[in-house]
Amino acid sequence: MNYSQRVFCGKLSQEDVGRTVQLCGWVDAYRDHGGLLFIHLRDRSGIVQIVFSPDFTPSDVCQAAATLRPEYCITVTGAVRKRMEGTENPNIETGQLEVFVDGMTILSESDPLPFVITDKAMVAGVESAGGENVSEDLRMQYRYLDIRRPAMQNNLLLRHRIFQGVRQFLDSRGFVEVETPVLTASTPEGARDYLVPSRVHPQNFYALPQSPQLFKQLLMIGGLERYFQLARCFRDEDLRPNRQPEFTQLDIEASFIDEEFLYELIEELTVKMFAVGGIELKRPFARMSYTEAMDTTGSDRPDLRFGLRFVDVTDAFKSTNYSIFRQILQRGGCIKGINIKGQSEKLSKNVLQNEYAKEIAPSFGAKGMTWMRAENGKLESNIVQFFSEAELDELKRRFDVHDGDVLIMVADPSHSIVTSALGQLRLHLADRLGLIPENSFYPVWITEFPLFEPTDEGGVTSSHHPFTAPDRTDFDPKNIEELLSLKSRAYDLVMNGEELGGGSIRINNRDVQRKIFAALGLTEEDMKEKFGFFLRAFDFGAPPHGGLALGMDRTVSMILRTASIREVIAFPKNRSAACPLTGAPSAVKREQLAELGLLNLGEKEVLPGTAQKENLLDRVSWVSRLGIAEEERPVMETILEQADNLAALVQDLAVSEKPIRSVAPAASRTRPGAKAQRSTLATTGQLLKSAPAVKGNYFKVANIIE
Amino acid sequence: MDSIFFYRNSEKSNDSGKGALQKLKVAVQPNISVKGWPTEAGSAALADFKALEDAVVAERLSGQGANIVGSVKMSEFGFGLKGSQAGCALAEKSADAELMLDVAGEARLAAARAGVYGFKPSYGLISRIGLVGLIPSMETCGILAHNIKSIRDILQTIAGHDERDFSLPDEKMPDFSSQKIDPKKTTLGIIEEVLKDLPSGKRKVLEKELEDLKKAGFVIKELSFPDYSQFMLIHQIVGSVEASSCTGRYDSVRYGRRAPGAKNWNEMYLQSRGAAFGTLLKSYLFQGAFFQFERYNAYEDACRLRAQLVSEMQKLSAKADFLVFPTHNPAASGTVDSLADLYEQFVYTAFANVTGQPALHIPSTVDAGFQIAAKRLDDGRLLDLGDYLLSHRHGGKS
Repeated sequence: MNYSQRVFCGKLSQEDVGRTVQLCGWVDAYRDHGGLLFIHLRDRSGIVQIVFSPDFTPSDVCQAAATLRPEYCITVTGAVRKRMEGTENPNIETGQLEVFVDGMTILSESDPLPFVITDKAMVAGVESAGGENVSEDLRMQYRYLDIRRPAMQNNLLLRHRIFQGVRQFLDSRGFVEVETPVLTASTPEGARDYLVPSRVHPQNFYALPQSPQLFKQLLMIGGLERYFQLARCFRDEDLRPNRQPEFTQLDIEASFIDEEFLYELIEELTVKMFAVGGIELKRPFARMSYTEAMDTTGSDRPDLRFGLRFVDVTDAFKSTNYSIFRQILQRGGCIKGINIKGQSEKLSKNVLQNEYAKEIAPSFGAKGMTWMRAENGKLESNIVQFFSEAELDELKRRFDVHDGDVLIMVADPSHSIVTSALGQLRLHLADRLGLIPENSFYPVWITEFPLFEPTDEGGVTSSHHPFTAPDRTDFDPKNIEELLSLKSRAYDLVMNGEELGGGSIRINNRDVQRKIFAALGLTEEDMKEKFGFFLRAFDFGAPPHGGLALGMDRTVSMILRTASIREVIAFPKNRSAACPLTGAPSAVKREQLAELGLLNLGEKEVLPGTAQKENLLDRVSWVSRLGIAEEERPVMETILEQADNLAALVQDLAVSEKPIRSVAPAASRTRPGAKAQRSTLATTGQLLKSAPAVKGNYFKVANIIE
Repeated sequence: MDSIFFYRNSEKSNDSGKGALQKLKVAVQPNISVKGWPTEAGSAALADFKALEDAVVAERLSGQGANIVGSVKMSEFGFGLKGSQAGCALAEKSADAELMLDVAGEARLAAARAGVYGFKPSYGLISRIGLVGLIPSMETCGILAHNIKSIRDILQTIAGHDERDFSLPDEKMPDFSSQKIDPKKTTLGIIEEVLKDLPSGKRKVLEKELEDLKKAGFVIKELSFPDYSQFMLIHQIVGSVEASSCTGRYDSVRYGRRAPGAKNWNEMYLQSRGAAFGTLLKSYLFQGAFFQFERYNAYEDACRLRAQLVSEMQKLSAKADFLVFPTHNPAASGTVDSLADLYEQFVYTAFANVTGQPALHIPSTVDAGFQIAAKRLDDGRLLDLGDYLLSHRHGGKS
């Protein structure tokens, strides 16, 4: 078969009418009109209708065509024709055309499909079939079929465009793409590492990089000046909906630059990336300090597409008679609120009191929530009688209250509970009331993060990482209060409430670095042990440098407005960090473990809480949480001996049959039509009746830790 | 009387109900939920637990007019018969029938002890909702009664699809109705490996029974099952693993008693669970935990072996319509002090729990009686044979 004359289905145009062409692709859909067969032929470029008819198709080709089924891979030759008037299909780009087939070869057949691939209806006025309701695990198991769907192809194509754009742009700015190792050393900081055992060095491990942080700084010390990489990074974290164990980040580092250089660079880059998705971003991007973000939105990644900013009204209640507020203020607390403008119709007393104050606000960590509705020039509420006229007038002034507005306030002795709970309420209300404009994008730089956070032991720890430069260097590393007032030269790029990336200007002066370590309470030896090779590099004339990393999966997903980042990754892992297609992760053979020296790994080191596990009896007792009394020990010793014999016996008898768990297994564990619902025994609290200890509506248990 | 019952129903009897079981007095065990009744399953792990709703079997019994008269004292989680009064209510005529879980042969052994009929139905016929189980893949709700008709009526009442029990296989319910048995067209098999191990006195009694059956026209076949001893091995391993897993829920959070003074969560589990189970059952759970955490491959191998035993038993069933077994193991010691003692009692019963096939204990006036078994879902035919034997014994008049 020769494909040199092949043309693309989706590229055919009016100009091709009359031409004889060769097409290749897959059978997307077909309609059989008794002898007359219409097929949607699909390749990467699109779909065109091809027609088999005894009038112009040889009879053997017609016969072969009758065997075609969805996703057969075929090649055809035929003449491009304009469709008869009234038979055009607006669902596809080539809907004005069709190809009269005179020759066909079936290149390969397809089994019946696990799900429908076609999403283009064959006739006008018909809804597309669509494959969106297929379970995601099934799509991932047959990802190669899923990728045949035009929507997925488009996602991958645009991801490619965005990545190409990034490379071209950074190249034009003098950045050099350098690959850093994937098999590298475990760093003691950050998230959990994925480890790779070394065969040559038994019981030693490489770690997959959580980011190329150390390498990119070494490249700066290496004099490369401007570096970037579309780097694959790995983090063994508990999966959240929009996380992947491996992900791609755009890693950038440059020397002899300051924050302004990076803002300018990244803004221009971001504008270009979003333009691929037809999204126009206005420059310059807004900037907001960390403190302002926390004080007005309760989040260090604020969604600024809508208002609902916090107003601090702590001092308005300085001498209040309302005892709850008074007590909170006596304990050094604060009161903040939001004016939800003109929404009193949607937020009835019932919704505010029974849903928000009683259920939603407590679920966000607040002990309570105060609400007021503005009607006829007055504030109405269930507790409004506890406030003085002066206080209510002050609230109206501070919140700029008009009729139809709704105020909500959260008060707590803890500043962070107020901002966190109110921040979550802000997002909840915006979502519920439809206050978030569709297709709007609001980028913002968050700056001036605190350099340190306090630890429970009264010391400090780095908010970002210990190589982030402070805003000033004349601090006393022993003065905790001063340390906590330091800002870092770190910045995050936030879009619509999601962090796209972040970075910092790094420390390049070894004296400053020593002061930071001293502040962290680390000795020179501690640091050498942790980052020795890295710190040594700073002894050889390190240039001032800084950089940033952007999460590309999330960025592309946002540009393409997909429901999850898995839609923009060709072969993603599912929500339990597994790959339904390849079955990874999977068990390995014992021999493989032996070769890697992993069979008795960790035996020498005692894991916490396992002092009693050295003895088999104690170990089994511990893992099964079955306490064994002293007088029962001889019985259990005998049991272990007998069980060991049984295990040996059954191993000797071992057969190759498939193991069964039941002699009559249920075909399906779900009953068709059955709906998941809470048992009435649970909702009425009856389940609690048998419990030995109950607190409120919950089972009461011992503390997890002492 | 008090020594038999764990709980007696003080409410008025169910005489308004009409149905197939009208006026039948049925006893249960306190691992079968009847709403409001103490349901402790013979264990401190469920101390003071009162059933929140009726088990599906209890609901169906009442629905057909049966009177559930009380629950009979039972062994811990119904495993073995130590401390159990199963069958005694029938012997004393304070109940016409009794339901109890058959985990390894308990229903049949209790029937042998009481001199009544004891039936273990096929696995997968009866809803487990409301039953406090121990070995989910092996146990079924057994039925003890004075006659086959009561057993058949109860089976017809309690068997069948249950919306809430998603462990029930989606099989068509077999027909349990009464049919005539033609001895000349019926083959009874006896496994030579079973016969061989019996003490000669007991062996003669069983051979006499077989001789009588042969005279009645049945075809008697001696069959070989070299792997017979493996049933006990598989039951021990798979059973203990499932029991360990199944009793994981007794954590002193939702039911039972909490050991005082535990400093943290782990200690709470360790101490409360340590106190919840008697030493005999605990040793079984401990054995299961050993397989789960230390020798998991042994459990996998046992499940493989179980698959092979099930298929070997199916091949045997192709050679004979029914199999004849002793019920009681005369070699088993009278006192049960250890797991090994306990399992000795199940030598002739555990096979049916491993394969899920139905088995029926037939009482005898001269001896402990014997057991007949059919292939899975042939419960109706097995009861037909029981009926035939009953009437045959009475000289053709039942």
